[in-house]
Amino acid sequence: MGKEKYEESSSDEEVNSSSDVVEASSDEEVESSSDEVEVSSDDVESSEDESSSDNEKVEESDSSEDEVAPRNTVGDIPLVEWHKDEEHIGYDIKGRKIKKQPRKDKLASFIEGADDPKNWRKIYDEYNDEEIELTKDEIKIIQRVISGRTPHAEVNPYEDYVDWFEYEDKGHPLSNAPEPKRRFIPSKWEQKRVANLVRKIRAGLIKVSDQHKEEEHNVYSLWTDDTDSVENKKHGGYVPAPKPKLPGHEEAYNPPVEYIPTAEEINSYELMYEEDRPKFIPRRYLNYRSVPAYDKGVKESFDRCLDQYLCPRTRKKRINIDPESLKPKLPSRKDLRPYPTTCYLEYRGHMGPVNCISVDPSGQWLASGSTDGTARVWEIETGRCLKIWEVGEVARQICWNPSPDRPILAVVLEYDVLLLYSGMGDIDIQTKMKELLHISEPGATEDAGDSKSAATWIQHEKHDGIRMKHFKAVSSIEWHFKGDYFTTVVPSGDSKAILLHQLSKKHSETPFRKLGIPVTAVFHPSKKKFFVATKKFVHVYDLSKVEKIQKLETGVREISSISIHPGGENIIVGSKEGKMCWFDLELSTRPYKTLKVHSKDITRVTFHRTYPLFASASDDCTAYVFHSTVYSDLNQNPLIVPLEILRGHKPEHGRGVLDCKYHPRQPWLFTAGADSIIKLYCH
Amino acid sequence: MPPKHYRAPGKKKEGNAAKYITRTKATKYLQVSLNTFRKLCILKGIFPRVPKKKFEGNHKTYYSLKDITFLAHEPLLEKLRHKRAHEKKVKKAKARKNKELAERLLNRMPTYKLDRLILERYPTFVDALRDLDDCLTMVHLFASLPAVEGERIQVKRIHNCRRLSHEWQAFISRTHSLRKTFISVKGIYYQAEVQGQKITWLTPHALQQVLTDDVDFNIMLTFLEFYETLLGFVNFKLYNSINVKYPPILDPRLEALAAELYALFRYVATGSTRKPAENQSISSTEEKKDSDEKMDTCVNESDLQLAQLQHQLPSNEPGALMQLLEDSNNDDDDVDQDTIECKTLFKNLKFFLSREVPREALLFIIPAFGGVVSWEGEGTPFEETDEDIAYQIVDRPTQGHKFLSRHYVQPQWVFDCVNARIILPADAYMVGMVPPPHLSPFVDDEAEGYMPEYAETIKQLQATAKKNVMPLPDLDNQDLADPQNLIADGVMDRTQANEAAEERRKLQLLEKQYHDELKMEMSGITYSATLSNKKSENSGSEEMQHKDEVVVPVSTEKNDEDDRAKLYMSRKKRGLYEAIEISNQRKKDKVALLKERKRKASASKSG
Repeated sequence: MGKEKYEESSSDEEVNSSSDVVEASSDEEVESSSDEVEVSSDDVESSEDESSSDNEKVEESDSSEDEVAPRNTVGDIPLVEWHKDEEHIGYDIKGRKIKKQPRKDKLASFIEGADDPKNWRKIYDEYNDEEIELTKDEIKIIQRVISGRTPHAEVNPYEDYVDWFEYEDKGHPLSNAPEPKRRFIPSKWEQKRVANLVRKIRAGLIKVSDQHKEEEHNVYSLWTDDTDSVENKKHGGYVPAPKPKLPGHEEAYNPPVEYIPTAEEINSYELMYEEDRPKFIPRRYLNYRSVPAYDKGVKESFDRCLDQYLCPRTRKKRINIDPESLKPKLPSRKDLRPYPTTCYLEYRGHMGPVNCISVDPSGQWLASGSTDGTARVWEIETGRCLKIWEVGEVARQICWNPSPDRPILAVVLEYDVLLLYSGMGDIDIQTKMKELLHISEPGATEDAGDSKSAATWIQHEKHDGIRMKHFKAVSSIEWHFKGDYFTTVVPSGDSKAILLHQLSKKHSETPFRKLGIPVTAVFHPSKKKFFVATKKFVHVYDLSKVEKIQKLETGVREISSISIHPGGENIIVGSKEGKMCWFDLELSTRPYKTLKVHSKDITRVTFHRTYPLFASASDDCTAYVFHSTVYSDLNQNPLIVPLEILRGHKPEHGRGVLDCKYHPRQPWLFTAGADSIIKLYCH
Repeated sequence: MPPKHYRAPGKKKEGNAAKYITRTKATKYLQVSLNTFRKLCILKGIFPRVPKKKFEGNHKTYYSLKDITFLAHEPLLEKLRHKRAHEKKVKKAKARKNKELAERLLNRMPTYKLDRLILERYPTFVDALRDLDDCLTMVHLFASLPAVEGERIQVKRIHNCRRLSHEWQAFISRTHSLRKTFISVKGIYYQAEVQGQKITWLTPHALQQVLTDDVDFNIMLTFLEFYETLLGFVNFKLYNSINVKYPPILDPRLEALAAELYALFRYVATGSTRKPAENQSISSTEEKKDSDEKMDTCVNESDLQLAQLQHQLPSNEPGALMQLLEDSNNDDDDVDQDTIECKTLFKNLKFFLSREVPREALLFIIPAFGGVVSWEGEGTPFEETDEDIAYQIVDRPTQGHKFLSRHYVQPQWVFDCVNARIILPADAYMVGMVPPPHLSPFVDDEAEGYMPEYAETIKQLQATAKKNVMPLPDLDNQDLADPQNLIADGVMDRTQANEAAEERRKLQLLEKQYHDELKMEMSGITYSATLSNKKSENSGSEEMQHKDEVVVPVSTEKNDEDDRAKLYMSRKKRGLYEAIEISNQRKKDKVALLKERKRKASASKSG
């Protein structure tokens, strides 16, 4: 087809070149061609006619401009200027002058215009010097032009484009090159490639797709019988995934009534945290057909998959043991008797919390100090109050002299320590004590000069004893076992925090410097050793050389009290967080055992002097009694057995039991409570 | 002094840092993307570990370094790389609109096999069986998904899953190794025992499954890929063990009717030989005999005979045929008591399933317990009008036409019978009734501390079934004299026995009192005279009360004892002790809650 078209166009050219040839060459070729060609030849004829015809003929042409062909031929000249004074306005086509039309006067023309209803359509053509009346169609065209539309209404400016030419499979219309040879001979490279593929297919390197599909169901006996003997050993310890939980009754489609939560319970789930909320709420369906599809089925399966490859796995020993078996085997309490168990006596009389108690070495008297500003002495067996001192200040601590022939009480007040004669013993002792507790003035001044700020010994007139004035608040006092020396602790005293006093010489000194803030200090019961407890540590000093021997690390937050075993090699330390540490000095500087006993501060720990007992008192209103056997054999660790919890005191302003002391000979325990009662627990 | 974690150059890593590697580092080390790494981990069964010290921080995933080096030497890694490269080629071809090449490349996508991985992960068959729970659950889940073209899952794979699950079920049913079944809200749980391994799996209800968007199907499909292969091999081994040729060839007629399971049953039951079918057809009869002699186990022989018989018999009498096979096989199977019990549960009973009943589950369960089952539809073994049908499983509000010779029961009855291992009375499960509660067979009620009411009834029924003469304790005079015997019979649990003992003691007391009073009357003491005595008695009882009060401090003493012991425990042990106590308390609370609800429910029912 393309070629035909090509020929057509060429024949057209020929037609244009000479019309005679067209007439002559109207052979089969042109005849057989499409109508278009004929039309075009008609056009050619008409154009010929036009060229030969005159003006009238020109006016006949379909173009609207040609219709009113200008008679004037002067062209585009300024008519008004050049022909203003002439008779003519120009020349017609044959060169004759065209006369000007006679001028109408304005009035006549106005009247004419007013009479003629078509006047608005008339326009004056200056070039031809005539009036033209516009037709209705022309008016319409003008209107359309003014409104910006195409002049002719029948013309569609947006007509669909029709591509009359067929491009497909036509090739390039211009190339007329012959087919190259390479189109006809087989490709060498293709041949090579095919050969290669054939070789590969034969070698089995490439599989034809049909073979491919056959291999789908190739299952075989993977596990042969001898694999059973293979030891299943995986490196690094293979941990199989735990099996999913098996469903309980509640997951049934029709569970028993009791497994279905009530509406209130379901509502209460809403208030719970999302993690705590039960994942599955049992529901009851009355028959199998009404069970719906489980909407979380795929999701749960997916979660299981995630668990299997994302969750770290470890072997966890799940111990299924009886909780009772976790409890340590403690020796029977019956075998460890006697120990204090029940409250036997109450000593009432103090008006405020009893801060401190102390038992006379003979075991007959009990001294107590209270916040009500009194110190009292009681007869233990009867509970009679024997003596009352009005000390006027809060008695922080009270301490009997451990020597039986020196019935002296040391009472700690705010800044002072009072040494009082208790009034026990016969006349000999009375006189001795009076001598002992008498201070001559020069001695005092000498002391004052020696260590001015530490302590001054002054005679106390009211109670007939000695008043030792300290420069800062005193926290504790402790006698040496021989009864001549005693120590006081002034926590905020910096380098003069620990004071050693000698009663017989009325002398004080501060041998230890560079300590932290000491809490309490005690003497070793037999050797020349001295223990100072600071906030977290216990320092052990040799008194003869005045040097540090050991430093015990308690590991507690704040030490509150300390007590030395009568053997001297074991210490218990009570702390303000309720923990108690047992130190074996020969074993280690760390606690041999730490017991979390109380829920509140431990106020006092104390050993019994003869029985293997110790006790702790705490602000949680309890006192614990422990058994403690210390073996002389070095290889055997001390045995500590909790024995009894003593309750009975009532809490007062958040405080419970403030002090506890053992009877020196009997297994009795005295406790002083914040409820201003002292209790005696007996076995 | 060098910093704590300084390591001199050339010195090896030590401790946890040498044993473990984080996930990011592992992927870098293997030079794979995270997706490939995930796929490898899933297929190889490698999982994160918990190092003692998390040396790179708490929020990282740690893998054992040995696991990762193990992965690095995995041939699959290379295969996956090839695959990725190939995919790129396809993508390129598509981008260049080279459809032919793309198609050709797609056809030649490199594949990999997982059989070696399976053997590596499960060196023995028992290992594979032990880990089969998840595999079966997943395969059954996918078997129930819609097989629609254009969904996220290929139709081919869903069909494969369906086939594998049916094969598995056919095996379980044939060997009667199903033990427990349970209809839960999530689906139906089955527990089977194969080679001493308890295998539990869940099948969804036969309803349209919901495909949610919050699920990454790539992960699940990777798992499924492994599981499909695994189950294929397991099925092969299992079918081999009962002398059935593995990829089973099914009756196309039944397959078309979507009764694959039944078709499989028939296939397995006829015990088609392991020899390929073509061989059989080609070989002459003599050769056949030879091969028979070679196999020379009586099982095979009988199987073969049966297979031949099967060809002669009209195909719609498989029930009788199966029966025949059962009998022939009974001798050689050295089965345990449990299997025999399961096999004989529904023996000689014919079941018929109504249209609305979920067919697949029951078609699986009933034959597994020795029953014969048919359903409404084409190609069924027998019609609904069969006179021998003993039970018809129905799940509709009312049943129009009823045969008097059979029971019309709800599906739950089958499940409960199976779990109880006795044929329960069908009265409670009749059509239109609300069936009794369905109980989980996986719960040990004794250990849980609470036994639902229906469990007790079932226990009694079991006991009566065991000893047909034993009367129901509720009906008969309660023989409280020896609760121990009852325990031995398994009628009562321990708590009940204790209660009974208590009651007995009280009764004895009352009896004694009564006797005393009688004696007193006999001796002629008047009532008024006894009053004073009674006072003294009362005081005595008061004393008793006192004693009770004394008991209270004893309990506090016990508390003290507890505290004492707790004091002495180490912190670790104390924590453990407290944790145990808390969990025990929680358990008790749960039981108490159940009892409370039960009480309220019964009260509301009576009131």
